[in-house]
Amino acid sequence: MKKLNCFPGLVKYQNFYFLLIFLLNFYSCHNKQLSSNNQILYWSSNNTYEIEFSRAVVKEWNRLNPDQRVKFQPVPEGQSSEEVILAAVVGKTTPDIYSNMWQGDVEAYADAGVLVALDTLPGFLEFLNLRCDSQTIAEVTSRDGHIYQIPWKINPIMLISNVNMMKKIGFVTPPVTYSEFLKAGESFKKDIDGDGYVDQWVGYSEVMVRWWQRFFDFYPLYLAASHGAPLVRNNKILFDNIFAVNVFKFLQILYERNYFSKERLSARQDVFLSGVIATRFTGPWEIMHAENFKPEGFEYEFSPVPVPDEFKGEPYTYCDPKNIVIFNTCKDPKIAWEFLKMLTTKEKDLLFLEMTNQLPRRQNIAEDPFFENYFNRNPKMLPFARQAKFVKGTDTSPVLKEIFDIISQEYEACVVYSKKSPEQAIADAAKAARLIVY
Amino acid sequence: MKRIFLHIILIVGAIVFLYPFLWMVTASLSPESEITKLTFLPSTFTLTGYQQMVEKIPIFRAFFNSLLVSLSITAGVLVFGSMVGYALSRLRFRGRNLIFFIIIFTMTLPFQITLIPQYIIMVKLGWVDNYLGLIVPYLMNAFGIIMFRQYFMSLPQDLIDAARIDGCSEARILFGVLWPNSIPALVTVGIITFMASWNEVLWPLIVIRNENLMTMPQLVTLFVVGGRAESQLGVKLASATILAVPIIIAYMFFQRYFIQSMATTGMKE
Amino acid sequence: MINKNKMTPYIMVSPYIIHFLAFIAFPVIFSFILMFHRWNIISPMQYIGLGNFDHLFQDRLFFKAILNTIIFLVIHIPLQIIVALFFAEMLNQKLKLRGFYRAAFFLPVVVSGVVVTYMWQQLYGYDTGVLNRLLVWLGLGKVGWLLDPKVAMPSIAIMATWKNVGLYIVLFLVGLQSVPQQYYEAADLEGASHWQKFRHITLPMINPTFFMVVVLSTIGGFSLFIEPYIMTDGGPLNSTLSAVLYIYREGFFFYHMGYATTLGFFFALLILAVVVIQRKFVEREI
Repeated sequence: MKKLNCFPGLVKYQNFYFLLIFLLNFYSCHNKQLSSNNQILYWSSNNTYEIEFSRAVVKEWNRLNPDQRVKFQPVPEGQSSEEVILAAVVGKTTPDIYSNMWQGDVEAYADAGVLVALDTLPGFLEFLNLRCDSQTIAEVTSRDGHIYQIPWKINPIMLISNVNMMKKIGFVTPPVTYSEFLKAGESFKKDIDGDGYVDQWVGYSEVMVRWWQRFFDFYPLYLAASHGAPLVRNNKILFDNIFAVNVFKFLQILYERNYFSKERLSARQDVFLSGVIATRFTGPWEIMHAENFKPEGFEYEFSPVPVPDEFKGEPYTYCDPKNIVIFNTCKDPKIAWEFLKMLTTKEKDLLFLEMTNQLPRRQNIAEDPFFENYFNRNPKMLPFARQAKFVKGTDTSPVLKEIFDIISQEYEACVVYSKKSPEQAIADAAKAARLIVY
Repeated sequence: MKRIFLHIILIVGAIVFLYPFLWMVTASLSPESEITKLTFLPSTFTLTGYQQMVEKIPIFRAFFNSLLVSLSITAGVLVFGSMVGYALSRLRFRGRNLIFFIIIFTMTLPFQITLIPQYIIMVKLGWVDNYLGLIVPYLMNAFGIIMFRQYFMSLPQDLIDAARIDGCSEARILFGVLWPNSIPALVTVGIITFMASWNEVLWPLIVIRNENLMTMPQLVTLFVVGGRAESQLGVKLASATILAVPIIIAYMFFQRYFIQSMATTGMKE
Repeated sequence: MINKNKMTPYIMVSPYIIHFLAFIAFPVIFSFILMFHRWNIISPMQYIGLGNFDHLFQDRLFFKAILNTIIFLVIHIPLQIIVALFFAEMLNQKLKLRGFYRAAFFLPVVVSGVVVTYMWQQLYGYDTGVLNRLLVWLGLGKVGWLLDPKVAMPSIAIMATWKNVGLYIVLFLVGLQSVPQQYYEAADLEGASHWQKFRHITLPMINPTFFMVVVLSTIGGFSLFIEPYIMTDGGPLNSTLSAVLYIYREGFFFYHMGYATTLGFFFALLILAVVVIQRKFVEREI
């Protein structure tokens, strides 16, 4: 390269440039989490408390099984853990075990063949029958009859109420039926600063049309009203029924009469804690948040989401289930399974409760005397534990996201903007959904 | 009389263009409860928004990432752009016109069509969640090449002939002779490329999922839109303010160059 | 020595050729293949013939995105031209502080779109935003800037104008200042009115800038992404769903890679068609 000698500076510059590129590639690769040779790689969610819990369990396992070590990492930070997992699947850099898999994602991954069929592991079905009731087990069984996930933890959606403000409008206990809730809406609606615009509403639900928002309004209410009916089963759309229509109707009235605000209140500061709204559909994570940020004298309580007036029995709700899966990049699923058996014992479930305030998806957790002490010390978790008997996760379908997106579009048009009747909206949604289910 | 009127209009105009920034900065420094009522000044100033922001997101890491990526892209565009521009303007070779047409073609090609396939290529190359995925697709820039070509065409031929007689290679002619004489072109292309790559958000959102590799605008976007801020406005405003600060500082010092660069670009179109 | 020099141009151009082939030519060719398949990246590709095209021509969201873009452009382009020309005229005088005003108008241009979008989202807030508080203080009613499906896209158009007009003020200013004084003096001698001077001297001189505003704004309108993404997420009622946001959603929320590529292809075609038409129409007209 004779010409380069003419300008020595260029040589240095070029070399430096290539070195830089090499270092960049190397450095970014280093950020990828690759399974080590003999170790089982285990990812948990990056919730601080779950990380502590996982570390503790992994430490104990490694102490007892020094030649079958488990390496623990929180799932890498990203926009959402679902995206990070998908990126890992695509790049074939998945861990061996992942414990924060949203139940709705599993079917698509199962179809793609990246998950281990757990029911082929020794002792799995017996274990599952002890841990969960038959309804839950049916829920996590895939369309091909195999089971690819262990039900791990749930966060049931319930109604949180501002005790003091509700008392002021005559509600000593939270509203139970649609009518009661509407009455609360009317009483609570107020224009505080006299500018002619309402600035106080009984509740709020996210008006943005993101498909997963419906898990916090439409879906819990639908499950409550219908005793846990499915939206789709075996590729058949089943949600065009009277329950869905009534839920849409109820929510539509809330927006029409301005009991729920149409403005995107979530772009403001926390409106429940600041008293702008009196109730919210939320989960156990709210407890930590409220304790951190609530003002002086603020009191709150949890109750099931509203049900139709004629309703009888126990209301169901959505539980945001997160489950454990083993990816097929795992070299030794049997050892992974041994580790998981230890992770999901009763003792570990209690430890999980203590450390993270999230409910393990174990049957009868509210009645089991093993957990009594915990609930005595954490009474705010008790409503959730009782609700845990009547929860539903997600239906088994690889196009769940698309179905919820369709429902969300109709939700916006009907419920928020009253452009269609509830009957029409549900019918349109079902029609569109039938086109994409295959 | 007319002049007073003129000044009033201009002052109103300046307010319209500057007030939103002032509001944002003051709001980011206000206590959480006052933000929604803020018009000009809060009762007290507080840094809690910034404190919380630093705790929640790796904002300085993102700043470093943006800096690294933008500098690399700018360096690449300057080097490669001037190389190709020089070849197109001053050297004779077969296929010169063809390449020129290809470059014009790529300038008119809307990115909407290459977006998805380019992502898939990144996946196949393993450049997802990798600096290379952010930098390499942007290393060549048709606009930069055209700018350099045009500028080099306006330089006197004697300059180059003299260097050739001295027995210098083409590389030395480019970097040793043309570059020092093309400062305006280098500055223009440099500033515009840097600015464009710094502010680019769509591509990082597509290619980077790992928080530690995110660029600054990307991190702020996700923070502002997502739930990590726990509905606290002050934190989000702080992140938006801090995103604006580097460019505003650069702008305050180099304002003339910014404006000139974009103006000359406009003229050339 | 001469042989080496002969190779040099090819060596100099080769990085570009490689880059072009890898990142432009190949993706375009690949997109033509992808359009006929259904693919979610983790499962194998599935050939579906014209399935994506079928879906596209019945897809009301596709047409909504186009409609939204048209609404955006119809408001944004005239507004931008009028405001830019107005302030350019104002600044085209001997003024103290001219540099300050110019710098102030230009500031939004260099700042990141993310900052501008988030800033304006707060200003547009229905209950608490400064704009509505101002309107109420003036005795007028609140406006549902981002809530009303009819107003949301215009609101984004206004914000986009605010962000970009500084650039066109500067460009028009350059154009205005390049008009030789003699033309105006000659016109004055013939008793021409201000409007006549503007129409026959000024306008033709700034014609190229006009064209640039129109073309660049059009491309910008079809490239809207971060604004609807942050401000409204495409709502309300999909009134701010932009072309790129739709592609992004299909490709990176749902991983409908085949369909997203098809969308990209048709939007690209549309952009090219519009720009070609504009070239014929706008350049001739003025």
